[in-house]
Amino acid sequence: MDLALQLLFTGIGIGAVYALVALGFVLIFRATNVVNFAQGEFSMVAAYLMVVFAVDLGWPYWLSFLLALAGMALLGVIFNLGVYYPLRHRTFLPVIIATIGASILLANSVLAIYGPQPQVLQGWFETPGIQLGPVYLDSQYLLIIAVTFALVIFNYWFFEKTLLGKKLQATSQDKEMASLLGISVSTMIMITFIYSAVLGGLAGILVAPVLFVSIQMGSTIALKAFAATIIGGFGDVAGAIIGGLALGVIETFGAAYISVPYKDGFAFLVLVAFLIFRPQGIFGERVAEKA
Amino acid sequence: MKLTRRDFAAGIVAGIAAPHIITSARAQGATIKIGMCVPATGPAAEQGLWAQNGAKLALAAVNKAGGVLGKQVELVIEDDQTTNPGIVLAFSKLAAQNDIVAFLGSIRSTQVHAMAPDVLKLGKPVMIGGTDPALTHMGNQWLFRFRPNDSYSGRVIADYGVKTLGKKKWAIVHSTDAFGTAGGKALASALEKLGTPAVLDQGYANQSQDFTPVVLAVKQSGADILGTYFTFENDIGIFARQLRQLGVNIPWVGSPSVVAVSSTKLAGPALFGTYGVADYAEESSDASKSFGKAYRDAYKSAPDNQSAWPYDAVTILSAAINKAGSTDPGKIREALLATKKTPGAEGEYNFDQNGDGLHGYNVVKNDKGTIVYDKHIDFND
Repeated sequence: MDLALQLLFTGIGIGAVYALVALGFVLIFRATNVVNFAQGEFSMVAAYLMVVFAVDLGWPYWLSFLLALAGMALLGVIFNLGVYYPLRHRTFLPVIIATIGASILLANSVLAIYGPQPQVLQGWFETPGIQLGPVYLDSQYLLIIAVTFALVIFNYWFFEKTLLGKKLQATSQDKEMASLLGISVSTMIMITFIYSAVLGGLAGILVAPVLFVSIQMGSTIALKAFAATIIGGFGDVAGAIIGGLALGVIETFGAAYISVPYKDGFAFLVLVAFLIFRPQGIFGERVAEKA
Repeated sequence: MKLTRRDFAAGIVAGIAAPHIITSARAQGATIKIGMCVPATGPAAEQGLWAQNGAKLALAAVNKAGGVLGKQVELVIEDDQTTNPGIVLAFSKLAAQNDIVAFLGSIRSTQVHAMAPDVLKLGKPVMIGGTDPALTHMGNQWLFRFRPNDSYSGRVIADYGVKTLGKKKWAIVHSTDAFGTAGGKALASALEKLGTPAVLDQGYANQSQDFTPVVLAVKQSGADILGTYFTFENDIGIFARQLRQLGVNIPWVGSPSVVAVSSTKLAGPALFGTYGVADYAEESSDASKSFGKAYRDAYKSAPDNQSAWPYDAVTILSAAINKAGSTDPGKIREALLATKKTPGAEGEYNFDQNGDGLHGYNVVKNDKGTIVYDKHIDFND
């Protein structure tokens, strides 16, 4: 039982990381109907920005955090203008390929600028964790879980209760109709890219103290987050969160009780099962319409 | 102008012979070229940088001392992307250049396995750092290893843990790649020979984001000592921190990566007190000290085995070509195999007929972040 509780906590913790990145996938997919394969690199870039501000320049952690997120917002703008906007009238395929190209560019640019050495970034808290009975709760994982649930509430409020959120939803559902109603579609898409880049960045900054800061950190998380997005239902915010958490828990339990070397295999086995038996994912009705 | 049959035949012969003459001329060019496959991108890009540093340091020394066969030596580097297809591509690009006389391959056994068939086909000497014992025992006469293989590391880890630390219940954790699997097997076999078979043999996949299931398996096994074969420093960092967080504080004796500079930096206090077998230990010999000083002077950081083996490979290969008096692959091979009692940064080289240059390991300890040399154990078999 103690073992299961420890695994459950870690599974939810790592699942929350997948969920944060998956959220970025979903938001861009809803707004543009394409998958942004550079979402993982957003996480990596933000983590390196934190290293530059907080470690290299020695600025306060909170200031570095805000500056890194501001940097990500700027990257979202550049990404939209440089990668999506020129191809917006083309089919989804050139845009997807452009995002793959952008991800390679981002990874190799950081490699060229910063070098290949993995970096250490301290977490928010001085205490590494707390022992609660038989379970050790890593403070950084606790923070990640808390931020993920806060974002679930924020996203619900933002998309359902604010005018801007409703405009974003309208844009994602029918761009032409939204445009006829006076909504600036290009502005809404710009906001979506900014928000997704910030979300991806947030995931990177939060996970960096656990996984270290390296060029590959984004791509390894993004692959799982992409699987989580499909499991949850492509295009559904709640689906991304549930899919991410489920994937984290499944792979952790699978590794502990069946086989550690095949840990990644469990995640993708679940993905394949969903693609065969429920391709629209857990919450995926709207995706079926889009497909 | 009338084209006679004789002119035509001469033209054909000249056309066929020209590329060979040009290639031959290039091969006898102004410099002696050594090819190097190295990860400049991918998960091992950092290790690749260290390897390049080591090779370039040796190259500068060789050239300063007059070069090879009276010519300066040049390094031609190709990125292997830290992948098997990447190294096959990188090696094929280098192999296509006829004027490259020998090569430096990978420190990663998996990648050496991937390139080995092409090495055999090409028939030129390739220096390697991969430690899977099979690499020099699979009938490929062109592979020359500049690090001790894992049959030695397994024996040294087992010997040190059982006889020096007095521990009998072993948990083995290893990567499931070629290096980790071979290392894990070597350690398990050495422990069985000592009469203390491992109570846990746990593999893991590289680049894992979470090691909780592995740590809990170690904890549940009741082991009183841990032996590891990790491939990537990132993985060691995550594992070490989770191991300590979940309350596992048993002695730990690991393969060289556990005492690598990067691991020490990433894991911090989580690795304090661990032991590692290290092919490179700065205090182990005069040659190691001298390499350490030269590396620090050049790059302002401490070296480890990632840079030590390419340094030795370039130095000893250059000496072998000089000794052979020719760039003929067969003669270079003979000169390499004849290399005996030659001190290097990694230890004393005594090549056997399989192409293994080193036959023992140093044991070092992480003393609050400083890697301290303990002893060197060599084997004669």
